Amino acid sequence: MAPSFNPVADHMPSIIVGVADLKISTEPYTYLVTHALGSCLGVTFYDEKRRIGGLLHAMLPSSKIHEGQKIREPMFLDTGIPRLLAALIRAGARKQDIRCKVFGGAQLMATDNFFRIGSKNIDMFYRQSQDMELDVVAWEVSGRVNRSIRLNNQTGDVIVKIPSKPEFIR
Amino acid sequence: MKSAADLQTVVEMTRSIPCAPAILPKLLKLAEGSSSDLGEMEMLINLDTGLATDVLRTANSAYFSSNQRCENISDAILRLGSKVLYRIASSTLTGRWLVHPVRGYGWEPGDLCRHSLCVAICAEIFATKMQIADASTAYTAGLIHDLGKFALAYANFTALDDIANRVPDEFATWREAEKVILGFESTQVTKALLENWGFPSIFVSVGYYYQTPSESPDAERKIVTLIHAAKHVATQLGYGVGVDGFYYEPDEDALKEVGFNEEEMDAAIPEILTTIQRFITPSGEIRFT
Repeated sequence: MAPSFNPVADHMPSIIVGVADLKISTEPYTYLVTHALGSCLGVTFYDEKRRIGGLLHAMLPSSKIHEGQKIREPMFLDTGIPRLLAALIRAGARKQDIRCKVFGGAQLMATDNFFRIGSKNIDMFYRQSQDMELDVVAWEVSGRVNRSIRLNNQTGDVIVKIPSKPEFIR
Repeated sequence: MKSAADLQTVVEMTRSIPCAPAILPKLLKLAEGSSSDLGEMEMLINLDTGLATDVLRTANSAYFSSNQRCENISDAILRLGSKVLYRIASSTLTGRWLVHPVRGYGWEPGDLCRHSLCVAICAEIFATKMQIADASTAYTAGLIHDLGKFALAYANFTALDDIANRVPDEFATWREAEKVILGFESTQVTKALLENWGFPSIFVSVGYYYQTPSESPDAERKIVTLIHAAKHVATQLGYGVGVDGFYYEPDEDALKEVGFNEEEMDAAIPEILTTIQRFITPSGEIRFT
């Protein structure tokens, strides 16, 4: 679905989420934005009834590679997703009303031994979404494209931008 | 445009782009030389107002600053040392060139600069961890590895759109498509540019072979493979990656030969990312110094 022109949405302020970071917003008149996911995953949570949204930009699947060291939780899916969920619930969202969407996980050309972060991230997200019983309503992952996304906190729509292609909504 | 003559056309066109990093090889030579070259280095830096400003700003930054302010370039050179100075120069000169707005590859303004900076940082960190190349050389090699693509985009080839439209349906890799549609590869353009500017052969080899390190001369295989590895890690990170980014084939044989393994590369990513985020803000703004 191509995004239709909406003068109100077009002027909404944006909150930028960097790599290895997460942000939430209780303000409907807002976009949560993250650029250039590459092989990282962008995970959005949205409570439509209360219009509370959150966005995580995680780089790696598991914090275990840094076991025993101080970590940035949003860098890893296994620590970032529970933290995003907790932040939304603290802000007033209810888990049964949260819909989740996932983006990114681009993969380099087939190799057996190198550069498989994209596929490892997707596998980890799948396992976590099962374990945490997340209601995942959109998967826009894998492939060889670098995605940028923005979550419209009024509607829960996620607008996806890919180099040289028109934007589309998931 | 299909013939080999077009390669020369692209190289010629880049002569009109301001801020080419052409004085970099001269600075590199001086940075490696003795203290008697400091005067010449000062003269070279003073020729470029933007570079001189960056050097002074860094010398007076909280990190380097002592009680006394550096008021001129010669004091700044003594305070920073030739290696730091060279790093500032390579970032400033290359970065300025790479941020010119160009079309092609689906880049947003500054994307090639962001991506090249990520490759440079990955290369520097891997070089230090694995002790396979000088860290400053690796950093510069990362910055300049894809100058040919910038030149192609600057030349505004409609053929770039053709490549984007035909990969992956007709061609598995971007390289194959370049060969058929352009008649040459972007790495050939990089090689020609770096040779024209008098860059040392190690950088020319990086620019020409980084996509196929197994084909590089034995003496330069390690640094070429290092940039190959850094390029792929940086691509996964996403910063500035265009429509071509994920259509390059990793050279597993070369990576294994040099001693790379996936686990160690993945484990280095948090450090790489933290370093990158000192230079690139979440909104994509680049701060070189």
